[in-house]
Amino acid sequence: MATTTATEAAPNRLRASMLGARVREAGWGYAFAFVPTAVFGLFFIYPLGYAVYISFFHWGILGKTAPGTGTFNYAKVIHDPVFHTALKNIGEYTVAVVPLEMTLGLGLALLINQKIRGRNFFRSAFYFPSIASSVAIAVIVLYVFSQGGLFNHAFGFGTDWYGNAGTVGWGIVGMNTWTTSGTVMLFYLAALQAIPDDVYEAAALDDTGAWRTFWKITFPLLRPAHFFCLVVFGIGALKLFDQPFIVAAGASGAPNYSTMYPIIYIYNAAFGVSDFGIAAAAGVLYFILIFALTVVERFTVGRQQAA
Amino acid sequence: MTAQTPIVQAKPYIPGRARSEVVRKVLLYAIMLAVAAVFFVPFLYTIVTAFKSIPDSVNVGLPHPWTTSAWHLVWTQYDFPTYIKNSLFLAAVVVSCNLFLSALGGYAFARLRFPGRELLFLLVLGTLMVPDQLRLIPIFVMIVHWGLFGSFWSYILINLASAVNLFFMRQYFLTIPRDFEEAAKLDGAGYFKTFWRVMLPLALPATAALAILQFQGVWNDFFWPLILFGQGNPDHYTIQLGLAELRFTYTTLWPEIAAGSIIAIIPVLIVFLAFQRFFVSGVVSAGVKG
Repeated sequence: MATTTATEAAPNRLRASMLGARVREAGWGYAFAFVPTAVFGLFFIYPLGYAVYISFFHWGILGKTAPGTGTFNYAKVIHDPVFHTALKNIGEYTVAVVPLEMTLGLGLALLINQKIRGRNFFRSAFYFPSIASSVAIAVIVLYVFSQGGLFNHAFGFGTDWYGNAGTVGWGIVGMNTWTTSGTVMLFYLAALQAIPDDVYEAAALDDTGAWRTFWKITFPLLRPAHFFCLVVFGIGALKLFDQPFIVAAGASGAPNYSTMYPIIYIYNAAFGVSDFGIAAAAGVLYFILIFALTVVERFTVGRQQAA
Repeated sequence: MTAQTPIVQAKPYIPGRARSEVVRKVLLYAIMLAVAAVFFVPFLYTIVTAFKSIPDSVNVGLPHPWTTSAWHLVWTQYDFPTYIKNSLFLAAVVVSCNLFLSALGGYAFARLRFPGRELLFLLVLGTLMVPDQLRLIPIFVMIVHWGLFGSFWSYILINLASAVNLFFMRQYFLTIPRDFEEAAKLDGAGYFKTFWRVMLPLALPATAALAILQFQGVWNDFFWPLILFGQGNPDHYTIQLGLAELRFTYTTLWPEIAAGSIIAIIPVLIVFLAFQRFFVSGVVSAGVKG
């Protein structure tokens, strides 16, 4: 309470020192926030504009390669049949993989959520494929499903699952369903544990069966989790890169463009063909497409979820 | 569980209910063990293969004879020690720099008042919307232009801070009562000392969770090392690049590839087993890996 006497004695000096304290606090605030904010500005905000800029030029590794400004890169990408294939492939992949991941993830979460011994063991076991690196997983799966591999041996097939244009897309769907469902499970588990017990007690008093309890009570109550997973894992699916790159040993899209996805296309334009203008234009177009999809999702699924 | 007990007791006795309960439990365990087996078989198969000789690797059963030659080759001929060293170096630098800067920024946004704070914070959150496929080209051009292409600095620089970590730290700092800072201030501690000696230790659970996830992120990262070191720069290869290279060059050298995959998984597995609790809570609250 020494300050009280100071207030009475010298109000002006106190006001000045309070102002000084506020200036000092602001100074430290800027100092603390400066480096992280600068990193975000330099490596997130600035590249956004720079990507758009590059997309209007002929651009190689070291800069502009030919005179001319215009939308020619966009025209090329939009009319490129390989880009169309990439969009078709990623569309099919996402529509297949997201429901599969969510179904399996929810199934695993329901199993784990039972009151039984060894829950933690099973939770770790189901989550384990999610922590392994995409390269290691892809390489292991390529081995198991190779022509003379374990899968063909056990089930009597002779197919080279990941070397065949007809099956490789499904192979990548299967691989990522296996590794991502563990993460989906964690989110559903958190949502399941947030449902209060008395909801189930009411159902138990009415002697409602387990199947009916799930569809009438649990599933609708998980609606926020469904929406969250749809958005998060939907956007995650659209970023597919590592697995097709490992499967095809590069960004060629082999065999026959069946492993060609948008980010593989962007990578190949930049580091295969050295046309950074095309790569930037494809990146901008794909970003706009994802953004539009997100907005549509907000206004359809999102509105239902709010209602 | 205790709340449910009286209801179960209140139920009328139905003959056969106890037995059906046992059947249900057995069935449940059977399903869970089956799923766990399906999840683990590929890993077990890989471990077994890593102890086979090359001609033996086309057979499905146990190794005949057991050999550690694949491990030996991976260690001596395919340069895995270098890859491991590079990955560990990058992980150590990125985890410490990123967490320090994200915590520092998070603290500033949570507690210090300065003009333009809310606007800057919106900018930080906005970076979450910028996807890698859009940053890829301009960042590569910038790195080449600065003469940093192929150097470890390029990777460290673009990972110096992350919006997810900063946001998570800010939220955590907001939950810590102000009394601690006021006590530190009465003791005459400055702003940095208050942050470093009082607030950061209090935020240890959050920091630990993020450190684990960040370690996993760097160790498993394939995309950015491929862009920055992948164009013919083998002495800078990370473990994932090295493993991919091994597979691309020697497509059917299965024992070596299997040993390499196990090496690429083990450190993250150890961290996972040691810090499971942090892992689970961290994934759920901080978001998902890409």
